[in-house]
Amino acid sequence: MRNLYTKLNVSNVKKLSCKLTCAAVGAIVLTAAPLQINSSIAANNTLKSSNLAKLPKDSLKSVMWDFVATEFLLSDKNTKKIVMNDSILVHAPKIAEDQLNLPVHVDARSVKNVQKIVIIADLNPIPKVLTYEPKQAEARLSFRIKVGQATPVRAAVLDKDGVWHIGGTFVDASGGGCSQPAVAYGNDDWVKRLAEIRGQIWRKPGSVASKMRIVIRHPMDTGLADGIPSFYLEKLEMKGSGGENVGTIYIKEPLSENPTLTLFPILKEATSSLHVKGRDTEGHLIDVSIPAPVQSSALID
Amino acid sequence: MDKLRRSIILGGGLSLAFPNWPAFASSFKYNLKAQRIANNTYVVIGKTEDFSLENGGDIVNVAFIDTSDGVVLIDTGSSRRYGEALKKLIFDTTGKDVIRVYNTHYHPDHCLGNQLFDKTKIAALPKTISGLKTSGEDFSGNLYRLLGDWMRGTEVVLPEKVINYSSEKFGKHRFEMLPFEGHTDADLAILDHETGVLFTGDICFLDRAATTPHADLNKWHKSLSEIKKIPHKILFPGHGPADITSRSIDQTDTYLTWLETNLTNAVRDGKDMIEAAKMPIPEKFRSIDLINREIERSVAHLYPKIEEKALPFLGQGGG
Repeated sequence: MRNLYTKLNVSNVKKLSCKLTCAAVGAIVLTAAPLQINSSIAANNTLKSSNLAKLPKDSLKSVMWDFVATEFLLSDKNTKKIVMNDSILVHAPKIAEDQLNLPVHVDARSVKNVQKIVIIADLNPIPKVLTYEPKQAEARLSFRIKVGQATPVRAAVLDKDGVWHIGGTFVDASGGGCSQPAVAYGNDDWVKRLAEIRGQIWRKPGSVASKMRIVIRHPMDTGLADGIPSFYLEKLEMKGSGGENVGTIYIKEPLSENPTLTLFPILKEATSSLHVKGRDTEGHLIDVSIPAPVQSSALID
Repeated sequence: MDKLRRSIILGGGLSLAFPNWPAFASSFKYNLKAQRIANNTYVVIGKTEDFSLENGGDIVNVAFIDTSDGVVLIDTGSSRRYGEALKKLIFDTTGKDVIRVYNTHYHPDHCLGNQLFDKTKIAALPKTISGLKTSGEDFSGNLYRLLGDWMRGTEVVLPEKVINYSSEKFGKHRFEMLPFEGHTDADLAILDHETGVLFTGDICFLDRAATTPHADLNKWHKSLSEIKKIPHKILFPGHGPADITSRSIDQTDTYLTWLETNLTNAVRDGKDMIEAAKMPIPEKFRSIDLINREIERSVAHLYPKIEEKALPFLGQGGG
């Protein structure tokens, strides 16, 4: 599908015929999706109704809390308990200035032995944003998301005892961030620049702490814009040249166009670079080395 | 889109959520006041605040000039209700009808009062008209969301008089059309040669932080340096008080320079958007209203482009 779309674009054939084909596929997906969701809610509610009763009261008072907990937390086989934890910091502007690019910073360093951090925007048509499994890295990260309307934005942090720690904030927004075509489609050359990678690593002198920023050019189509099938970056793995396994990020559609991530790897002194490998939903590969010079001015708190 | 329905739903929702809502909902009256700043020249100065349910969008500067041919109006405010209040104020002050309206640019706080005036007499630069045509409904939808019933009945009305001339005269007042760009892609300033008042629209802000949602900072700086060369007696900015010392030009210019420099440094220092928005504000800018809020907004508008310039290129994926 994407190849067809791509070729049509490259050869500058107007998008109409392609849109028709894509729209047909879109229609199938759209009609299928609600059924799927409904049946999964029903199944989970039956299976886990005893668990639902034990859910902590949602500090953000979201109408979607039961669904979010059932779908993304209780469904995890490691789950033992769910607690609200306001020591997890989720920083985002109170109002999304750009519903395609809401910046979020999550700091879960107060939780010990973090296994994964799941980011969820409850009221997005696709609520799950990403799952980060930090290994040799601090339990914090920054990223940007698309928001479909005003919504809670949560970080659910799983520790090694199977306890989910939930932190979050509420963001006001005007609507539609998930159903707009990518800005890249305004340029005819978007294919040529697909998967362009920019980034840099800063290291704190005399410390293992570092900060890595990476921007990957990608339309990150949600599949909800008219006639454009979903197409997104889905996985990134980071490894240090000294053998460090920094961590893995599993990405979903609501991450912003041109995903922009900030991570905090813990690097050996001898490590000279970080290797980032990944792929999108159509098999385009990300494979890049980011130099990590020890002599770099770092501003890491 | 059915605006009426939307505003009723929103208004109803709010009165349930906030029991105090009816206290100001019962009136929805703008308390507009005309101040005379020069011969025949009156200004209505908006609050230097963000849109809110309390101010109903009374956050923009509007001006009118009482000529012997009739009244010339510069910008029309955020809503139909604002336009009504403005029209009444103009008639109470001058006893005359409006014969010419200018929209300085296409942002909604400057032109959503248009529907109270004869659209054939509303004049704007071509890109202002096309911008309002493209984005007007989105702007107005967003303001319905932010202002609720204050917006009731507001419709986007496009100017029908295209400004492709350099000046026009009403009574003794010759108005020079000065097309600039930078705040948006078409920003109209107007010089009244009779009084020496220069109306700059949002090319200049005074003691209220400049907004950048559609800004091109290079073009904006260029426009400011050109405006500086235009002889005038009083400068009336798009937001903030009338300016008799022209300090709004320098304030807007130095603020935008400082903002861009800081955001570029923030990218080089490895900061993400949230950290970049927390930049320390120098003493000389601290008294500017809404500066923290506008910095946060400007980070959203400007940061991705600065990252694209300032972060090193590493390679390209594929396969």
